[in-house]
Amino acid sequence: MSKQVYTRYERARIVGARSLQISMGAPVLIDDESTDSLYLAMEELDRDVIPITVKRD
Amino acid sequence: MYKKMKLADTVRIAPDRLAEDVSISVKNALKDKLEGRIDKTLGAIVAVTGLDEVGEGHILVGDGAVYYDAIFDAIVFIPVLQEVIEGLVVETVEFGAFVSIGAMDGLLHVSQITDDFMSYDGKNGRLMSKAGGRSLAEGDHVRTRIVAVSIDEREPRESKIGLTMRQHALGKLEWLEEDRKPKSDAGV
Repeated sequence: MSKQVYTRYERARIVGARSLQISMGAPVLIDDESTDSLYLAMEELDRDVIPITVKRD
Repeated sequence: MYKKMKLADTVRIAPDRLAEDVSISVKNALKDKLEGRIDKTLGAIVAVTGLDEVGEGHILVGDGAVYYDAIFDAIVFIPVLQEVIEGLVVETVEFGAFVSIGAMDGLLHVSQITDDFMSYDGKNGRLMSKAGGRSLAEGDHVRTRIVAVSIDEREPRESKIGLTMRQHALGKLEWLEEDRKPKSDAGV
């Protein structure tokens, strides 16, 4: 699957949802020492490992 | 009566459960959410037995949890008017006896136990007929008919099921046995 291109609004929504999940105890999908959920979520998005898609309808 | 049904519902999976297999956590979440719950049309949900289909998850604004739509098999119990049901007396009180009919308890009013007048014997925790021939106490197996159903969804404990035993072939199982005996004796 080619890397999905998201608008900045979609990126914000994904990072927001993902960082909230991480702060609520979801497993982190990258190797990183950090405990900052927002940083981890952005890092995951950069590496394209977040299992979240956007429905555009 | 008990029914096996295919139901659909949405469950919330908390973020800390996302590491597990989706179908397992969805099934557990369904069990936690639904088992023991009483619905006016479905009745009491006794058990979630199998998971058929788990849809796509949805993430809502302001909550990190994932919401899954699921289709699953469940066993439900719904008391139906006029249904004949066997149960166990779980408690006797002044005004009657409470009978466990599976997932719920029903009330058997004193006036509905026998054609005889029943009085409450508090010392022994049982109901005696005036003629003294018949008694009903905790632990007795009875066959009854459901004559009134009022289900309260909000307070399942407030749900009321009315029972009667004042009909042919209804009553404590021992009485039914007694009633059958003389006929077979006459036959011999």
